[in-house]
Amino acid sequence: MAAADLNSIRATIEGRLATELASSPVIPVVFHNMAYEPTPNSSWVQCLTSFGASEYLGQGLTTNSQNRIVGLVLINIFSGRGVGPGANYVIGKRIRDLYNRVIVSGVFFDAPIGPEALASPAPEGYFQTQVRVTFESIEEL
Amino acid sequence: MATIRGESGSVEFETGSGSLAQVVGTRSWSLSITKETLDTTVHGNTFRQFVGSLVSGSGTVELVYDPDATGQAGFIEDIVKTGDAADASFELFTTGTTNGTDSLSFGGIITDMEITSTVGELVVVTCNFITSSTITSNLE
Repeated sequence: MAAADLNSIRATIEGRLATELASSPVIPVVFHNMAYEPTPNSSWVQCLTSFGASEYLGQGLTTNSQNRIVGLVLINIFSGRGVGPGANYVIGKRIRDLYNRVIVSGVFFDAPIGPEALASPAPEGYFQTQVRVTFESIEEL
Repeated sequence: MATIRGESGSVEFETGSGSLAQVVGTRSWSLSITKETLDTTVHGNTFRQFVGSLVSGSGTVELVYDPDATGQAGFIEDIVKTGDAADASFELFTTGTTNGTDSLSFGGIITDMEITSTVGELVVVTCNFITSSTITSNLE
């Protein structure tokens, strides 16, 4: 038992998405703190993993104890503007299926939210939807 | 003066054939101690009076269920021990794990066990117990 490796949790979450979107049809995916220049009117995905408030689960202080670590995976899906939402939702389904009711490497994913269409895409020039998935991992000290 | 938060606590248990060891994954414990009283009021008294009598206790330990957590299986499964001779020992710590310090220790019997599995929540186990014979208080 050891303190949680946040990069390991992040890698579990992001690796799953990267593997899925690397299969045909390939969709570029970009993560936190990575430069990316999208091709106009193309489809691409941005995945932002954040950790939130932790919670003490059990007694025992720094040994023989458990904490709950929670976080949010926010996935922005961008696709060409003016051609309807179909292509975007196809990507959204692939992403939603990746996390829906899944427990992988000790990371528990909650029911996904979305894809929700955003009225003001950022960057502009795309149709943007957003999938949000909260997750939790139990840290055993 | 030092106040104590609940996460400092812990529970040690032995089922009657070993030595006290921590039950990993406890979320809470409680112990309620009751002293019976005997009415010693006599003719001529204008106020009712009592003396203390038998002392007994009961309480609860709540666990975040983990089948691999040290000590949990022995604790949870004590409920199915038949012909239970009240030979199990408990020590409930408010803080630390030094036996005989900041704790309450006693022999007892686990009388109820409830395990609950709910969508979206952790599986938790609640065990109720009663004390049997002496309760030693080290809460000084």
